[in-house]
Amino acid sequence: MMGMLLSGYRISMVIFAVTLVGSVPLGMLVALGRLSRFKPLSLLMQLFISVLRGTPLMLQMFAASFMPYYVFGLKTDSNFPMIAVLVSFVINYAAYFAEIYRSGIQSIPRGQYEAAEVLGYSSRQTFQRIVLPQVVKRVLPAMGNEVVTLVKDTSLAFSLGVLEMFTQARAIVTSQRTMAAFAVAALIYWVTCLVIEYVMRRIERKLDYYHD
Amino acid sequence: MSNATLNRRQFITAALGITGVLGLAACGSTTSAGSSAPSSPDASSASASSFDGSFVLGFDQDFPPYGYVGDDGSYTGFDIDLAKAVCDREGWTLVPTPISWSAKDTLLNSGQITCIWNGFTIESRKDGYAFTDPYMENRQVVVVPASSDVRQLSDLSGKNVITQADSAALDVLSEGGSQEELGKSFGNLQTIDNYNTAFMMLESGQVDAIAIDYPVAVFNIGDKTADFRILDENLNSEHFGVGFAKTDEGMQLAKTVEADLQALDSEGTVKELCEKYADQGVSYDLWCLPKA
Repeated sequence: MMGMLLSGYRISMVIFAVTLVGSVPLGMLVALGRLSRFKPLSLLMQLFISVLRGTPLMLQMFAASFMPYYVFGLKTDSNFPMIAVLVSFVINYAAYFAEIYRSGIQSIPRGQYEAAEVLGYSSRQTFQRIVLPQVVKRVLPAMGNEVVTLVKDTSLAFSLGVLEMFTQARAIVTSQRTMAAFAVAALIYWVTCLVIEYVMRRIERKLDYYHD
Repeated sequence: MSNATLNRRQFITAALGITGVLGLAACGSTTSAGSSAPSSPDASSASASSFDGSFVLGFDQDFPPYGYVGDDGSYTGFDIDLAKAVCDREGWTLVPTPISWSAKDTLLNSGQITCIWNGFTIESRKDGYAFTDPYMENRQVVVVPASSDVRQLSDLSGKNVITQADSAALDVLSEGGSQEELGKSFGNLQTIDNYNTAFMMLESGQVDAIAIDYPVAVFNIGDKTADFRILDENLNSEHFGVGFAKTDEGMQLAKTVEADLQALDSEGTVKELCEKYADQGVSYDLWCLPKA
């Protein structure tokens, strides 16, 4: 039982890690596009965020998995469901992260930009050296929330037949007629989230300078 | 002052009580938030020994032609119509309840559903349930794309095959099943929660074949007979029954339902229903409950 659960856990963690690595930077690009003074780009990003937050992740996974064939007629292979899961997770989470970043960026008072301008900073320098470091600190708690949600969302991959931990737990429960696998899986998910909470707390404390 | 304290205490007691009930309910239903099991208080708290005439039929709503959601949004299907006819005879109220297939045992044993009646295979499950006598024969088949080079079961060696999680086809192909060796020869035996997704995966090339019940295969193929092919060789032949909880009451209900089915057969209702679902693979030739 543990062997199957752990092999599923490995897949869950791959989904988790790839999503995080992909969506954290992508979210920043989307947020910057959303805040851009170039209207078409800003509107496009608003649409992107709106669609991805306004439709279920499960549906987006199906779209990613089956659009290539049903819309474009491209045959896919047996590795494709996993790719579809990764792509849809990265894009979906990027939309959520983008909104968190935007809240962080817009929380920086106007006066700081003016002060920076007076001191001769270019707008790029202002963003990179003054705004961004503060944004990182401010968005961490909200990011932690999403990251914990992400751990549990990996279980959605079951609907495309990807053998992540929850899929395995269900297989064990049905073949051995015991609920133990669910309990163990729940424990593993929870412990994973505990670790993430701990790490997030450490990072927050580390960035706690300038505060009481 | 004392009044306020009392209220607060009452509030806390009530809150704890509700949390407890919710906790228990969560234990009962275990999986996917999508399945909307009716949680009337007497269904969840009472044990299975209180059949009150409301016949709660647990079924997988993605399992046509036996149980599925019809065009008008109501639950329909061969088995549900059959159950309706039985309930009409007995004066019971039929409550079709879509369940998460992998949670069926828990739901049945806790009394939240009266029976599982949904193309439910008896073989390999005999010990777990109080079954009626088999009423329908079924076979498990393999579906491949029409253009596939797979002609017989032995050609499936090294291929990616998919089937529904916890289905009879999976039992046959996995360890201890009658086609265990064949299952081992596959490159990969995957599972999925519904066959519709499996067919989409087959069509787009993500899997090479689907192991599936014959009528379900016919339904899913529908009018796309040019795109898919059912292998001539069967995986297995087996029988459907209605499964009740393995209690005295469950066995009693199984006997009653069985007698009703025989009566429905002799008055011709069964044949009518078979014809109604004929285009979805249901055939009266497969009806196998002996006449009374």
